[in-house]
Formats: sequence, C-alpha cells, structure tokens
Amino acid sequence: MTISENASRESKAYWVMFESDFAQTAIQFILLALVSLLIPASYRVIVGPTLPDRLQAVDLITTLLIGIIVMLALVERTENFVDMAIALAAFAFIGTISIARYISEGRVF
Amino acid sequence: MLLEFLGVAALAFGLFFCAVGVLGVMRMPDSLTRLHASGKVATLGLFGLLVGAALLMPSAWLRLLALGLFVLLTSPVATHAIAASVHRRREIAASVRRQREIVEDPAESDAPTEAVDETALDVTAVLSRSRIQEIIEAQERALRHQRPDAKTKRDP
Repeated sequence: MTISENASRESKAYWVMFESDFAQTAIQFILLALVSLLIPASYRVIVGPTLPDRLQAVDLITTLLIGIIVMLALVERTENFVDMAIALAAFAFIGTISIARYISEGRVF
Repeated sequence: MLLEFLGVAALAFGLFFCAVGVLGVMRMPDSLTRLHASGKVATLGLFGLLVGAALLMPSAWLRLLALGLFVLLTSPVATHAIAASVHRRREIAASVRRQREIVEDPAESDAPTEAVDETALDVTAVLSRSRIQEIIEAQERALRHQRPDAKTKRDP
C-alpha cells in the first residue's frame, strides 16, 4: 500500500448513508443552488447604502460558505471538510464582532 | 433508504430557508428588517443543512453537532452586534441633525426630529473626529499630570 492510497483511504468517510442516484443528484443540485445564492448576497455588499448593511451581507456570505463547505463534504464524501467549516465559522465570528465594534465606536479596542 | 429521504428533505428545508433569507436581504427596505431576514439563514437554513448532512453522513455527526452548536451560539451575538452598530449610527446621525437645527434656527430646537437618513451623513467621519478629540484630551490630562503648573494650549 502506497502513501497516497493510504491517505485517500483515510480521508474518505467510513459510514455514508446515500448510494442512490436520487440522493447524489439532489446533493449536487443543492450545492449548485447554494453557490448561486452567493450572487444576490454579493449584490447587497456592492450596493448596500450604509456600512452595517455591507457588514451584514458579508456575514451572510460567510454563513452561506459554511453551508457550501458542508455540502462539498457530502459531495466528496470527505468528513474532514467539516473542520474547515468550523474554522471558518470561528474566524467569521471574530471578524464580524470586531468590524461591528469598529463601525459603531470608531475603534476596535 | 428512509434515512436518505429524510436527509434530502432536511437539506431541502435548509436550502429553502437560505433562499428566503437571501431574498429578504436583497429586497427588504430597511437595515433592521434585512437583519431579521439574514438571521433566518444562520439558524434555520444552516441548521437544516447540518441535520441533513448528519443524516446522510453519520460518521461526521459529532463534528456537525459541534459546528451547529457553535453557529447557534455565535450567530445571534454577531447579529446583535450589527444591530447595535446600526442603532448607534442612527443615534449619532440624529444628534448631529439636532445640533445643526439648533445652529440654524434656535426657535425650532424643541421640534421632534423626523426619521433620520443616516446615509446622507458621514457617521464614520463624526466618529473618528470624536475619537481624535478623546485622544487630545487624554494627552492634555497626561501633560497636566506631569507638570501641574504648565498651561495648556487650548482654553478649558
């Protein structure tokens, strides 16, 4: 067994409940729909009249990205992608809180 | 087979609420109503997606549960911080509007201010100006603490 085989074997989820064509097609369709939802969300980032609107739209985009990463873990059958989603959620929380504090107080600390 | 259908149904539930939230953020007229719409994406939409993923891929259920609990804890805090910033910017815009009205016409200073459009006012400039004022006052206090007899440049 080579190293790459070992790595690819370990990165796959060992307990997956979907095998039918219906579930795989539905998962890919939902991933596509979530990615296409990013476009109207970025519309609010571009034309948002005030600064909190843009911040809120960026927060919405990171929430959608967490969902996209979870769906990507389902499509790739790789459960390690969920760790990336957890890290993204943590950094998005810190960033949103600090930017909201900056635009309401004029400073972060 | 049943778990497959349940998982896909939960995913469709989450996708529906994500679409509704994005539509609300795009179409709602006000900042706070838009916040109300985007809160649905973080709780209902993402939670539906996580439940569906946990049903379809049960070997990752612990990580998905951790992610769901984290989002359930942090997303209302972030939404509240954004709402507080919206409210504070409106307060600043209203106070600046009131000061301008007093300067322009003293007789109408008691008149209630109408709905303030904070887009017409550069709130960030007001905030940074007040912050610079704070820094100057702190420096003067430190200077007075060092040399109590020294006269400050600005009149008190």
